[in-house]
Amino acid sequence: MALLASTKTNRPTAETLWIGIGIVVAYGVVPLAGSDYLLDAVLTPFLVLALAAVGLNVLTGYAGQVSLGSAAFLAVGAYAAYNLHLRVPGLPLLVDVVLAGGIAAAIGIVFGLPSLRLRGFYLAVSTLAAQFFVQWALTKFGWFSNDNPSGVIDAPVLRIGSVSFATAAERYVFSLTIVVVLTLLTLRLLRSQSGRNFIAVRDHEIAAKVIGVPLLRTKLLAFGISSFLIGVAGVLWAFAYLRTVEPAGFNLDRSFQILFIIIIGGLASLRGSFIGAAFIVVFPLLLSRIGAAVLGRVFDSGVLEMSQHIVIGALIIVFLIAEPRGLIALWDRAWSALRPARRPAIPT
Amino acid sequence: MSGIATGAGVLRLEEEPPDEQIHGSTRERDNATERRTERAAQTLANPALGLAKISLTFGGVAALRDVDLEVAQGEIRAVIGPNGAGKSSLLNIVSGLYRPTRGQVQFGEHSFDQVPTARLAAHGVARTFQNLALFKGLSVLDNVQMGLAHRMRAGFLRQIMGAPLARRIEEENRTAAKEVIGFLHLDDVHDRFAGTLPYGVQKRVELARALVARPKLLLLDEPFAGVTFAEKQELSQHVRNARDSLGATIVLIEHDIGVVMGLSDRVAVLDYGRKIADGTPDQVRADPAVIDAYLGVAHEDATELAV
Repeated sequence: MALLASTKTNRPTAETLWIGIGIVVAYGVVPLAGSDYLLDAVLTPFLVLALAAVGLNVLTGYAGQVSLGSAAFLAVGAYAAYNLHLRVPGLPLLVDVVLAGGIAAAIGIVFGLPSLRLRGFYLAVSTLAAQFFVQWALTKFGWFSNDNPSGVIDAPVLRIGSVSFATAAERYVFSLTIVVVLTLLTLRLLRSQSGRNFIAVRDHEIAAKVIGVPLLRTKLLAFGISSFLIGVAGVLWAFAYLRTVEPAGFNLDRSFQILFIIIIGGLASLRGSFIGAAFIVVFPLLLSRIGAAVLGRVFDSGVLEMSQHIVIGALIIVFLIAEPRGLIALWDRAWSALRPARRPAIPT
Repeated sequence: MSGIATGAGVLRLEEEPPDEQIHGSTRERDNATERRTERAAQTLANPALGLAKISLTFGGVAALRDVDLEVAQGEIRAVIGPNGAGKSSLLNIVSGLYRPTRGQVQFGEHSFDQVPTARLAAHGVARTFQNLALFKGLSVLDNVQMGLAHRMRAGFLRQIMGAPLARRIEEENRTAAKEVIGFLHLDDVHDRFAGTLPYGVQKRVELARALVARPKLLLLDEPFAGVTFAEKQELSQHVRNARDSLGATIVLIEHDIGVVMGLSDRVAVLDYGRKIADGTPDQVRADPAVIDAYLGVAHEDATELAV
């Protein structure tokens, strides 16, 4: 797992070291992973959800613009990449991925326009329009799914030049590479003037305006970057993880899942996006194992799903009240308790 | 004043240009006189800030009525008045957050019906807020550097890729921010999150953020509200330095008359949205209308005036 610091108080050398260790471990997992199950059902969805969470975190955590339309941009990315592959023969895969992200970004910018006038709850409701509109359009117009009656698309085999990524391990490596590159680029963006503008707009919009931060451009940039990242995550979701997707898979539940990842993991933290994604992926697996061990037969899939909803709902409430900065804040606190001298104290 | 804030040169505006020292003393004096006359003429034609017949009504309530205000270049100008006199409304009009019902705002040779807030920094105007308006999630250094956000001309892709233009501007801005942080004695806390600092220090950070762009006109909204006596002394010294060393013209809104009288060149007094007095601190202090206005409202205001 790539560990990425979100705050500038970390010393760059230590941070670079941790990122390096994270990347080496992430690539080193492949030969060690005993089963395709681990790669296919745990690690790949973890990476894809983490990238989507990074995308939403740029918009909601850093720039302070609440969005409930993440799944729509996943869907746009997936269907755009599918159609580009289908209709533009010979288009290289990476170009396809980037263009699909670009299309998601363009649609994200359109749906970001109301953000100049609406904030908070009202903006969140207006992003729901994206959620419903995209799902409706993909179901309504057969063109998007090449006239499949239920809107299902099948992913092509991933191929860059003569290298194909067909097995679980190869698709994991493909996803990992894209997620690592995009996360590092996002980190650079957040540390630039544009990234500071995001936080300024979030923390005090009027002061930002008076200083000369271009509000509309900053907000639309946040929407664009966020939708791009989520769109690329959508391509990975469809091409590298599930390989067969339908519009119904990108419903409001998926949007909420990504929102919960960043709330539980930590708003305005890239590391938090990864920790939150890991939690959301691993937690149901743990719960089913534990439930089965403790309750035996009674703990069937229905009970599992219900208890999952209950526990995650409760956790959201607990985090919002007790630790709005999420798991990553707990992690940082535990870490500084272990090594008090190494970190500059930030009193809370 | 030059609008470039790069390198250490700009901070030392008070220093004479080196070539001056080579010339003879008579010529130097002539030059100085000439320059002063020139500046006076310029001031009359282009006040740093001019308000002409500003009126502002909210529904049927008149917050400001026909207020004129002229601020000369290099002046420290206070606007005082009891609560609800319209001081903050006035500042919000100057920074474009409100549109006046009638009247015009003038910066130098530019005149506006409504000041374009987004272009405020480009016009060389900076302001602070009555209740702190820092970016809590940024460090002190980043907060101060935000004051130069409008200087970043490179697009986000060039910023991500670290293109030469983006790197150069980033470097210039960071240097300028560090200088101002030194100027306001904030070095010790430069890497702390702004939200974690004591109130008085946050006020200084906000002043630093306003000063980093080397504004020609600096608007301070109740800079001394809620700070301790010692901090007041320190802050007023910083305000004076901002004018003397950085060449800013300063308009400050204040409720606390004591500090203002010692600090300002001229004081305007607002009451119920009207300007009731305007002049030097001594003239204003002796003005019967001012005494009436202050005796007519909150008790502590009257005692403040007596002190």
